[in-house]
Amino acid sequence: MVIFQCEDSVDGIFTGVYDAWDSRIGHEAVALRLREKMDLELFAEYREVETDAQKAAKVARSVRSKMGQDAYRVIYQAALSAYPEKADCIYRVIVHGMSANVTKYEAQNVIWNLQSRDVCRVFELSRKVGNEAHRYFQFVRFRELDSGVLFSEIQAENQVLPLIGEHFSDRFPNENFMIYDNGHNDCLIHGKQRPWFILRDTSPDEVAKDQLAVREEEMQELWKGFCRSISVEARENRGLQRQFWPLKFRRWMTEG
Amino acid sequence: MEIAKNMDLYKKLEILSDAAKYDVACTSSGIDRKGSGKGMGNCTAAGICHSFSADGRCIALLKILFTNECVFDCKYCVNRSSNDVERAAFTPDEVCRLTIEFYRRNYIEGLFLSSGILKSPSYTMELLYQTLYKLRHEYHFEGYIHVKAIPGAPQELIEKTGFLADRMSVNLELPTAESLRRLAPHKTRKKILAPMRQVQLSRKEHKNELMLFKNAPQFVPAGQSTQMIIGATPENDYQILSVAESLYQKFELKRVFYSAFVQVNQDAELPALPGGPPLLREHRLYQADWLLRFYGFGAGELLSEKRPNFNVFLDPKCDWALSHLEQFPVEINRADYYTLLRVPGIGPKSAQRIIKARRISSLDFADLKRAGVVLKRAIYFITCSGRQMYPLKIEEDFILRNLMYSQSRTPAETVTYRQLSLFDDDRVFGEVPQQLLQAGV
Repeated sequence: MVIFQCEDSVDGIFTGVYDAWDSRIGHEAVALRLREKMDLELFAEYREVETDAQKAAKVARSVRSKMGQDAYRVIYQAALSAYPEKADCIYRVIVHGMSANVTKYEAQNVIWNLQSRDVCRVFELSRKVGNEAHRYFQFVRFRELDSGVLFSEIQAENQVLPLIGEHFSDRFPNENFMIYDNGHNDCLIHGKQRPWFILRDTSPDEVAKDQLAVREEEMQELWKGFCRSISVEARENRGLQRQFWPLKFRRWMTEG
Repeated sequence: MEIAKNMDLYKKLEILSDAAKYDVACTSSGIDRKGSGKGMGNCTAAGICHSFSADGRCIALLKILFTNECVFDCKYCVNRSSNDVERAAFTPDEVCRLTIEFYRRNYIEGLFLSSGILKSPSYTMELLYQTLYKLRHEYHFEGYIHVKAIPGAPQELIEKTGFLADRMSVNLELPTAESLRRLAPHKTRKKILAPMRQVQLSRKEHKNELMLFKNAPQFVPAGQSTQMIIGATPENDYQILSVAESLYQKFELKRVFYSAFVQVNQDAELPALPGGPPLLREHRLYQADWLLRFYGFGAGELLSEKRPNFNVFLDPKCDWALSHLEQFPVEINRADYYTLLRVPGIGPKSAQRIIKARRISSLDFADLKRAGVVLKRAIYFITCSGRQMYPLKIEEDFILRNLMYSQSRTPAETVTYRQLSLFDDDRVFGEVPQQLLQAGV
């Protein structure tokens, strides 16, 4: 067994897929692992995968053209998941869809083949990541700093920043904002009328992020008051509230 | 009844959101719109809930009344003119600033603007129009706006407002004209339906225009909705659901909302509700509403004159399936989409997944579970490649008991056979509760 160790990022995993395939050892005899999240195995040969944007782009392109845009989306989202064995599952699915003996029709439908264990796992991971990203469409809360920047802090399980960047920059094209994911130590940054980007392994200035703009506290009070007065007492149902709005999100939220 | 001048914003927001809270429609769905890049905001068709209040309802929009001053005296309403409550009114600028400041902090998805009737319907509608105009054109807000069309306001005003809003709604208030006459003496069914019809026709007209000119302005692109109060008047579920069905068909509404009646006023005409608002009834109506909109059911299939109310113990779909056992079991690997949708435990998403997955190879029960089918309900009604998961009887009593008592698990095989014992008792299924016997199920 030859184990390819790759970096925990979409590019890292896709490069791993490229190298493992390119090694011509045979799909049964190779496996992909994440460098940070693996246990060493006996009787295995290890190879380091150097993340290479070009190789990753090639894999992405062929997945798109052979397996379709839907499949690419599912695989991409799964690659952002926190699941430690995701790399190998993704590799198996791609092998499944791009083998020489698979017809175009089959390749396009591989991603719906929930009967296969690997496809099903990738599908589940993707759904989880997608759902968490949607949670952050809902629960990201900005506060205005005295520099005029909108700042938000979240603690995500999976790497959701790449999935929420488009939404927020489309929504606030004229704002300077920053979303800091303290679980992964990544920052999503958007400048006024400029494209968004992600800085990995960067944390914001501890002092600057607590210096609020003049009217910020007033707005927060207004919002908290609104959340209180909009509730109908006769229907109070904290259990239902918790179901839709789990406690773990509230720590980082204004009204939480 | 004085509108306090110089009231601070916090107090105003408190009063006017408190007064708006009995309106149920807080959805931000129905339209996908990218930002133009110049202003602020966009819309997502699925809608986004930003927070949840203590009653478990979602907070997607800044739901406020423009003013809670009202000339009408509807018996069920907290803002009726005969009530002595604190009154307040926003200015258009205050509403705009609140919306913008909340929106840019990602607190809300947009604005829900309703109002009590200040002076006259047309005066109030004019105020709402001005507010929306300011918000769209001076503050360049491109997020979601839901606004009330006020019955009795002039047509041109509703038309103009419709071009600024994403969704418009006119509240039906009560399911029948008779109840309306009794509880809302200033409103008539005819007056309420007129703006509803107008919005429907304008939407159609402007859709045609959009086909010709790509950039023609959109009129109420997210459609219109309405709401009914449930439990304040003696209508049964069948009547209510039939009203909803005809609203969907004849008025092309996007949503009908049901609001369990909450006792806010003491009035001889209103029922006393010692058990609190009829929440379960509301829940069953919503379940049935989904069946109408997404599952291809008709109101007449779910209820009838003879059986006018929903089963308290079972959801409407299970209830329907139990009384139509001749259509089951359904073969998962063959049945078409609409047949699959009729199986309890299978929804649109899992039905679509089943159809896609079975193109590649046949499915068994483990695969169904992965596709998101709720097996503990579906198991009685399906076969995979001709087999049931366990040998189960397709028999009304048996399925009913199992659906009710094994809420959280699928029945093991042991349920179908019983070991004879000297001390035979009913412990396997438990006793049938009295309420159930009375309900006659």
